[in-house]
Amino acid sequence: MEASAPAQEEKKDLMKTKTYESMVLLDNALVREDWKKAKAAVTDTLAKHGATVLTCRRFDEKKLAYPVKGRNRGTFVLCYFSLEKETMADIRRDWELNEKVLRSLILRVEEVPAKEHELAAAEDSADFVVPAPPPDDMVEEEEPVAEAAPADEIMVPDLNDIDLPSKG
Amino acid sequence: MAQQRRAPAPPISGKYCEDHMPDYKDVEHIKKFLSAHGQIVSRKRSGYCTQCQKALKLAIKRARHMALLPFVG
Repeated sequence: MEASAPAQEEKKDLMKTKTYESMVLLDNALVREDWKKAKAAVTDTLAKHGATVLTCRRFDEKKLAYPVKGRNRGTFVLCYFSLEKETMADIRRDWELNEKVLRSLILRVEEVPAKEHELAAAEDSADFVVPAPPPDDMVEEEEPVAEAAPADEIMVPDLNDIDLPSKG
Repeated sequence: MAQQRRAPAPPISGKYCEDHMPDYKDVEHIKKFLSAHGQIVSRKRSGYCTQCQKALKLAIKRARHMALLPFVG
């Protein structure tokens, strides 16, 4: 017996919708302003392009292995969302254009790990307080190289004053 | 006299691979498989099977992209 047409369409939609994992590196300046605002920078972009955010949590705040866009430190946000494949490029482009998003990585996953739901729920609870990032997240500017002294100030020894050993 | 070669690491069983599947988020684990210069160590030294060594390579490259691990040094 064949399934009805609406049921088939529904099944087709479910097959098209896939689960993704994304890790986003955020500027600590944005996190310092307000954590919810920083989180919204990630989730709003996903919602804008039709994604359903399954879980979203603060992964870590740490020193980066190398400076990214002039920052030494950053906050990582880990999100799981479901989406149709067509709008993925728009999400990537939006994050690339956003100055507060330093790096992003989107991967296809089969399902959301079980512990992610617990960790995200723990973060959403009222007791959770986001620790303030340390202040040294900007790369220190190199000190300007000292200018060479003017030519008239350079001490040039008079060769006539130097006693050279006589030959022979 | 020929130089004595380092004995290969004992092969890791499939069970170990399942429990220690490399993931780019588990930085402390995958950091062990980098040399002092930040290069990925060979299969001989890591002890991973073929598939897991490939997964390790991918995990390290993803972690490098996210600035969790260095490209050099």
